[in-house]
Amino acid sequence: MKNEKIEKLLFILPTCLFLLVISIFPFLYSVYLSLFQAKLTKMHKKFFIGWENYQIILFEDDVFPTAIKNTFMIAFSSITIEIILGFIMAKIFFEIRHVKFSNALRTVTIMPIMLTPLCVGLVFLYILNPTLGIFSYILDTFFGIEPFAYLGEPLPAQISIIAINSWQWTPFMMILLLAGLMTVPNEQYEAAKIDGANWFHVMTKIEIPSILSFVLLGVVLRLIECIRLFDIIYITTKGGPGIATEVMAFFTYRTEFRSFQIGTGSASAVIILIISLIVTTIAVTLLRRVEKNEGLS
Amino acid sequence: MKASVKKKVILLVLASFITLIFLAPNLWMLFGSFKSQNAMFALPPVWIPDFTYIKNFTIMLSQSYTYLLNSIIVTVCSTIVSLVFSLPTAFGLTFFKFKGRFFLADWILSTRMLPPVAAAVPLFILFKYLNLLDSLFALVIVYTAFNIPFAVWVSASFFKKIPYDLIEASRIEGASWFHIFLKIAVPLSKGGIATVAIFVFIFSWNELLIALFFTVSESRTFPIFISAQVSQAQIIWGNVAAATVIQSIPPILLTIFLQKNIVSGLTLGAVKN
Repeated sequence: MKNEKIEKLLFILPTCLFLLVISIFPFLYSVYLSLFQAKLTKMHKKFFIGWENYQIILFEDDVFPTAIKNTFMIAFSSITIEIILGFIMAKIFFEIRHVKFSNALRTVTIMPIMLTPLCVGLVFLYILNPTLGIFSYILDTFFGIEPFAYLGEPLPAQISIIAINSWQWTPFMMILLLAGLMTVPNEQYEAAKIDGANWFHVMTKIEIPSILSFVLLGVVLRLIECIRLFDIIYITTKGGPGIATEVMAFFTYRTEFRSFQIGTGSASAVIILIISLIVTTIAVTLLRRVEKNEGLS
Repeated sequence: MKASVKKKVILLVLASFITLIFLAPNLWMLFGSFKSQNAMFALPPVWIPDFTYIKNFTIMLSQSYTYLLNSIIVTVCSTIVSLVFSLPTAFGLTFFKFKGRFFLADWILSTRMLPPVAAAVPLFILFKYLNLLDSLFALVIVYTAFNIPFAVWVSASFFKKIPYDLIEASRIEGASWFHIFLKIAVPLSKGGIATVAIFVFIFSWNELLIALFFTVSESRTFPIFISAQVSQAQIIWGNVAAATVIQSIPPILLTIFLQKNIVSGLTLGAVKN
């Protein structure tokens, strides 16, 4: 019996220890560091200042509050676009699911999800380049709009980031909702047909209610991704112009590794952490509930 | 009958158009990787480049093969180490009926959702203290830690498909848990484990943030090399495109293998196919 206990521990304990050291310790250490004034280059000279770092980034300077605002603005806009377009795409692919060719199309469509975010950023940096980009050429030739630095103006830069983000993740929402549509029992469609229900009725009364849990799952998972949005910003706008596309993760990176201010940097890291924890709690509860119902299938 | 065929054709055309939206930007980058600096700036644009012009690739590969090698080593190692840690844990969480296993599973899952940027400086300090900064080893450790929660949850969702009777029968016959894990659970979940491995591979391959913090020179990964190409005063777009194409090859090839399991993986096993 005792041997069995040891055997069982060997299955689980190593992972827990590993995660404690590499995942939990760093987050706690961030909390600790956020209470100090410290420079990464002069770590031995740090001194305790309490809540002052939080005071500085939250109230005395408007960069981090803007970063929080931008992060949620980008998250909200992208996720809304992803749900609407994702649903339309899912409907189209659902209708042609028995056509052989549609499988190939779907596989190509979901490629962006798995692409390196850095590369996605570069692809659009290339396309949106004002001198050699294809986007400028098309706008200029067909619509007579003079090219300008799209990533150099606040609003176009924000729209570009949202567009790039949505481009990469709409396919995710599509396959998620497609999986949702697959769960609608065929009888329901047939009953609706007999009742003479139109497509709008089918959508609002049958489809949307049965894919709602899929939508919720998608929103939470995407929110977690959006909170840590970094790569695309890093390669395209670097938070600019000014602070128009500054987001939380990029602000933290800049503060810690460009200005070496790890006190204030850690304070912003802790705030991201708290926001993530709230979203994470919702996500874990949701996933656990789904899990208990033997999965969404 | 005719009306439904017509509808199918229209939908198929629409689907093809959608596919094009998600394919075209990548295709344009691919075409760009075969363009010389002159062809890049040509007006009207060179729509179809000369595909025998491979100078961009040879330049990039000759400058970056050490970084490419670093990326491959880190990715392969962290994928293997992640699985070595995660599979037994997923097995345990699925089949050992101990108190608190749900809590433990939730705790593991929640570490996946914490933002890496919040862990970067403490890990930087830790590895600096251990004198392991700018080493591939440090990257492998961190990537593994970030991937374990994902791997545990998704493999658990595959282990759950194994009939419990099968496990119980082997227990009664006196098989050790280790034996059951290695001889029954793992072989029966081969497809699932492959899915997990592919995802973990792609996550590690794509990682940028931690590599930016940790690697100074010797352990630079390929994404760091690519991003350095863009911060130069004069960007050689052909080179950037070639590097992007090289970086994109593994994710694209591997996604084809994921097929049906991709939704399941992206939702941490919540959606079954």
